[in-house]
Amino acid sequence: MSFFARFRQGMRAAIPIWIAFVPSSIAWGIAAQRRGLSLDEILLLSAWVYSGPAQFAVLGPLAENKPAVQVLIAGFLMNLRFLPMSTALAPFFRGVKRLPLLASAHVVSASSFIVPYVQFQKERDGRPGNIAAPHDGYGNLVFFLGVGVTSFIVWVAGSGAGFGLALGFPAAFDEALKFILPGYFAGLLVVEMKSRGMALVCLGGLLTALPGALANPDWGWLIAALAVATLVWGMEQRG
Amino acid sequence: MTRFSIIFLMGLMAFALRALPQLCFAGRRFPEAWDRWLRYVSYSVICSIIAVTLFMSGARFESAAAPRRALALAVAVAVARRSQSAVSGMIAGALLLSALTWIF
Repeated sequence: MSFFARFRQGMRAAIPIWIAFVPSSIAWGIAAQRRGLSLDEILLLSAWVYSGPAQFAVLGPLAENKPAVQVLIAGFLMNLRFLPMSTALAPFFRGVKRLPLLASAHVVSASSFIVPYVQFQKERDGRPGNIAAPHDGYGNLVFFLGVGVTSFIVWVAGSGAGFGLALGFPAAFDEALKFILPGYFAGLLVVEMKSRGMALVCLGGLLTALPGALANPDWGWLIAALAVATLVWGMEQRG
Repeated sequence: MTRFSIIFLMGLMAFALRALPQLCFAGRRFPEAWDRWLRYVSYSVICSIIAVTLFMSGARFESAAAPRRALALAVAVAVARRSQSAVSGMIAGALLLSALTWIF
């Protein structure tokens, strides 16, 4: 399959991601504008960090000019999930040189990971002996870029559109606009909630955040969130 | 440190987390237990931020607005769960919150 055909195949597979990215990126743009971030800052965050949950996590601390270390740690914790995603994709890019690998790594996100990963597994399982052909690395990378680059463009454009939309809302809607991003993420979590462990972690995180933030407004909520996640994880590990 | 510098550093750290496995871990499997811990940390931090964003203003608990925001959150969660759509939940919660703010 040619470069363009494989890229188009990736683009077609990414259409559901674009549809999901439109409301979330617009919600992010609206929330960020309402918290006082400029259009430049919003676009830079969306394009350079390119991680919805991390952008959500740092929005409050960043807007309130909290210590840089706090913003960076919150962002880092949210982005740690890229490690397993990127690790899982790596074997499918066998034979690709370092520079294209580095350049394409920027568009790894939760959504742009799942679609190519499932596609590559399906293609590999369809082969005799389930062995990936050595020349598939570049073909897979092009498919991944078809998914990742187009989703990235939708995300950044949606953030800018959200900023523009927020400017048009009267102040009476402030309360509702502030609710949009937390409401959207709460909805996302509850739609994805499949295990008892995840439900426990979410409930624990929600309930311990306020006492944590009241005890220490800078770090309390973050420490409480880490403690809850580690506690539930530890309980599961012990069986 | 300016906001731009913080965003730049944050982006660099995100890029490192995305790129390092491509360069160093090719062909290796990420341990299942670690994968689960990382996912739990994400969920927990997101829920923590939802609570802080909705109910705190700086170091102060927003007691006057808390009941209607809690109700809007509960409705958003219920609608999202029932419709399997985060957007529907968000819209339902935001509309309810607007109405409650306007009435009270």
